[in-house]
Parts: sequence; C-alpha cells; structure tokens
Amino acid sequence: MVDVVVPPVRISVGSRLAVRLRRFGEVAREVLRNPATVVGLFVIVAMIGMALLAPVLTEANTPDPYQMPRDWGALNEPPGTPGFPLGTTSHGGDVLYGVIWGSRTSLRLSLIVVGATVTIGLIIGSLAGFLGGKVDEILMRVVDVFLSIPELIFALAIAAVLGPSFRNIILALAVVFWVKYARLIRGQIIHVKGNDYVDAARVIGDSRFSIYRRDVLPNSITPIIVQATLDMGHIVLVGATLSFIGLSEAGLAEWGVLVSDGQAGISAGRWWASTFPGAMVFLWALAFNLVGDGLRDVLDPRTEKR
Amino acid sequence: MQIRDYVLRRLMILPLLVVGTSIIVFALTRIGGSPIGIYLSHEMTPAEVTELEERFHLDDPLPVQYFYWVSGVLRGDLGWSGVAAAPVTQVFPDKLGATMELAVAAGIVAVVLGIGLGTFAGARRNRLPDHLARVFSISGASMPVFWFAIVLLIVFWVYLGWFPTGRSDPNVFGRIAHPTGIYTLDAILAADFRAFLDALWHLTLPAITLGYGTTALIARMMRSSLVEELGEDYVDAARAKGLPERLVLRRHARRNALIPTVTVIGLSFGFLLQGTVVVEIIYRWPGLGRWMADAVLRGDQATIMAYVLFTSVLFLAVNLVVDVTYAYLDRRVVLGT
Repeated sequence: MVDVVVPPVRISVGSRLAVRLRRFGEVAREVLRNPATVVGLFVIVAMIGMALLAPVLTEANTPDPYQMPRDWGALNEPPGTPGFPLGTTSHGGDVLYGVIWGSRTSLRLSLIVVGATVTIGLIIGSLAGFLGGKVDEILMRVVDVFLSIPELIFALAIAAVLGPSFRNIILALAVVFWVKYARLIRGQIIHVKGNDYVDAARVIGDSRFSIYRRDVLPNSITPIIVQATLDMGHIVLVGATLSFIGLSEAGLAEWGVLVSDGQAGISAGRWWASTFPGAMVFLWALAFNLVGDGLRDVLDPRTEKR
Repeated sequence: MQIRDYVLRRLMILPLLVVGTSIIVFALTRIGGSPIGIYLSHEMTPAEVTELEERFHLDDPLPVQYFYWVSGVLRGDLGWSGVAAAPVTQVFPDKLGATMELAVAAGIVAVVLGIGLGTFAGARRNRLPDHLARVFSISGASMPVFWFAIVLLIVFWVYLGWFPTGRSDPNVFGRIAHPTGIYTLDAILAADFRAFLDALWHLTLPAITLGYGTTALIARMMRSSLVEELGEDYVDAARAKGLPERLVLRRHARRNALIPTVTVIGLSFGFLLQGTVVVEIIYRWPGLGRWMADAVLRGDQATIMAYVLFTSVLFLAVNLVVDVTYAYLDRRVVLGT
C-alpha cells in the first residue's frame, strides 16, 4: 500500500493580497460609476475634511472648543453680518462655528458608536451563528427583546436615566444599535456556513476557529460594510434628535443642540440659527445613505441589479 | 410548517418578549440607583427614610422589587407622573387620543402617497419620474424630523401664516363635546363641520412632517417590488392576451407588489410612534410623545417606564399582526421558516 500524501495547498500571502486588491479595485470602479454615489462621497469627504480642519477653519474656543463661543455684543445677528456669515444665536454664538465644530462632534459620535456596535455585534452574532444550538437560541431571544423597543424611544429612555450629557448619548446609542449587527452577522454566518468550501475546509481538517477566520468571516462581511456605512449617517440623525430633545449639555457645538436653541427665535423671524445646523444633519445622513445604497448595489447582487 | 403552527409559535413567543421588555424597562430605572430620591426631603429623619423604603419595598432584593412593580402594572398601577401631577393611568387616555390621531393621520398620508408614488415610479422605471421619486425617497430616509418640522413652521406658520400650531382653536374647542379625545372624530360625532375643519387644519402640518419619512420608505419598497413583479411571466401573459397596460398594472402587478409593501407598512408603525416625540414638541401637540419628552428632561421615571412599556407592547402587537397577515398573503414565508 502506498500512502497518499496530500501536500497542503495554500495560496501564498502575497497572491492572496493581490487578489484582494484587485477585487477592491473592481468594486471601487463599479461604485464610482454611479453618479449619486460620487456626489455622496464628495459630501462625506468635505464633511470629514471640515471636521478634521475645524481648528484651522475657525479660532478654537477656549478652554473647551466643543462649547459654542459667546459674543454678548452680537446677539441674533442675521446671516451676512461681518464676521458672522451664517449669523449668530440668541446667546451670541457664531452659527458657522457650530456648523463646523458640529461636524467634528458628529464624526466622533458616529465613529465611536459604529465601531463599538460592529465589534459587539460581530462577537455576539458570530457566537450565535457559528456555535448554534442553545447559545444561538438564548442570544437571539435577547436580541428579539432589544428589537421590540422602538430604537429612538429606547435610546431616549437610556439617555434619560443616565442623565443628560453627550457621552451618555453615545452610550445609549451603542446599547441600542449592537443588536442589528448581531442579527445581521448571525444570519450571514449561517448562510455562509452552508457552502461547499466550508465543508471542504472541515474535510482537510482545519480547526473551527481557522474555518471561521479564513472562510466564514471574510465571506460574511459585505452586508456589514453596507450597514455600517448607512449607520454612519443614521446614528448622527438619531444622536442629533436626542440632543434636540435636550439630552446633551447646553451650549455644546452639536447640530441638534443648535437647532433646539434656534427654535425659540423662529416666531420672531430668526430662521437661520435652526436652519443651517439642521441642514447639516440632513446632508450628513443623505451622503452616507447615497454611498451606502451605492455600495449595496455593487456588493449585494441580490438586490436591485436591474 | 402549517400556517396555524406559525401563528401559534409567534403567539407563544410574544409573552416572553413582553416579559423581557419589562425586565429591561425595570432595569433601566435601577441603573441610576434607588428611586427613593423622589420621595426624600431634607427634613426627614433616617427613621422616616427607612420607613419609606419599607413602604415602597425598596429595601427588598431587586427581583422582589421587580415582582412588586409588575404586579402593580398588572393591576393598572403605573405610578405617579411628576410631570402631569397625576397618576399615570389617569393622564394616559387623553394623551393617547392625541398621539393616535396624529400617528394615524400621518400613517394615512404615508400609505396613500407612498403606494401612489411607488407605483407611479415603478411603472416608469429609469425615466425622469422614477429618478425624482428616488430623490424624494432617499431624502425622506435622511431627513431629521425635528429640522423638517421647523423648516415647515418657518415657511407655513411664520412667513405665510397658512397653518397654526397646537391642536385646536380654543373657541372651536369649547363648541363641542369631546367624548373620544380624538378631535376629528369628536367633530364628526357632533356633526360640526367647522370643528372638523379646524381639527384637520391643525393636523395637516404635523401629519405631513411625521408622515414624510414613512412615505419615502413605502414608496421605495413599492417601487422596487413593482419593478420585480413587472418582470414576471404572468405580466407578459396578461399583456399578450391584449390587456391594456393600465389594467395589467392595476389588476396584476400592483396587487402582488403590495404584499411585501405590507411588511414595510407594519415596520413603519414604530417609526411613526417614535417620530411623534419630536413632532409633538415642535407643534405643541399635547400627546404622549411630548409628555415623554418632558418626563425625560425632568427625570420622571414612572412616566418614562409607562411610555416605553406601552410603545413596546403596541409595537410587538402590530408586528405580530403584520407578520401573520403577510404569512397569509404569501405562503412562501411560512414554508421558509
């Protein structure tokens, strides 16, 4: 009898990287063919640029640049006033300052919340989907319970209990949004697990963790990228809503807070203090929605390929 | 799986979810420590504080406290609302009427406009109306309700003066009785046309504001499912037998396209419910949402708990109804699970 020795067939790291890069290039080219996505990307780049360059674009307020500056000599100035191109608030805050630093606040909010929720969702969803059985059953019932409370109301209640502050808004949003990812990732993993190449890996004798890391996870990731992109916008929308209701610190350079502050002046015809910051929330969410949709069309061939 | 089994299974999970939700709600109120602070004053002696703690069972372990709370809720005791200065259960029906009137009006706007727009766009795929509808939809998904409300107020209340804020004109309000607390319905019951118009007039802006996001959602779903149906063979068959395009659309494609749209309509109920919080603040609408917002800002835990519990149970119930309806309409769902 002759022992058949099967040499371990593994693609080298270099060629694997090359394959990934080529795939990335293909996706990028196809995504950029959609004009709406390009517009969205452009707005996102502008917003992030504004957030990063905030200390250059404006003179940072001291000691805390995230607090609105107050100029008691310039209350309720209309847009176009020298020094205040977008006007001032009833506390003498420069609306342009709020718009610019608000983008920084929003970027921080969305990055932290999306980062945290994707991580938690990835861990919980992977455990449920990959282990299955009792673990899956229990985790998914917990997810169901979390999903049975409308998200804004849930976040509102958590933030209310924790007390009004921007940090608590971040915390509340993280508690509410991880479930979406857990469920998405679980479904995706169960779907991928049924593929032949996973069976093949098992037959060669790969360990469960290595199958998960090499075969299952990379093939489950695209819907998560799409969802995370959409949520970068959605979370700013919900966060600004909580701030608008009054759950941030007063005077924070945040778009929702500014809209709320400006609200009292509209009956007197002072439209600018609410309009500009609110438009920023809209633009931010719109841009990420456009890009998220564009990504979905390319990455997820099951939807809208007609 | 039989459809009956599916419904039964869903019904069996429902109490589990309600209990789970109630645990979360209860846990929330204990995160900040004991709620004894609400009852304390500076003049109290330690003995009095202990007595208070005993009276409200706050010295018991948390699971026991939870048990006392749940049995209170089941007896209809939701505690004292500090904001409304009255028991929660006493204030609730009034506010509920106002919120339901708003949510239903917005829902009607959204369903009618959404299905209409979605059909219109889907039947003209990749032509100008379709592109415009897409812009409308994606804007709706990105629109901060609080900002949209303020922009509409600036235009239609401050500058044009076409629409009022609040819920009714005080003079008109006094003219008729309000047995239901739903003003449009009250006006119909009293057969008072002016009161009805006044109620509608106050309802218009808030309903449009609240309904926009949902309209966008429904339109989008309707459009894509109509496009999908129009590619099916039965549509070609209907066309081949000489049916006019209008009838192909109305009798065949649209009916089938409505099935997935039903799910979205159900989902959007939660969307409408949470939107009322912001819309009610801005339009001074005296409903549950504004009550909740006040409670949130003033730390009124009884009101917050009642509101979260109520909306979740309602949300669960609506979702159940929608899923079951959907299962009946499209049997593939049941076979798939």
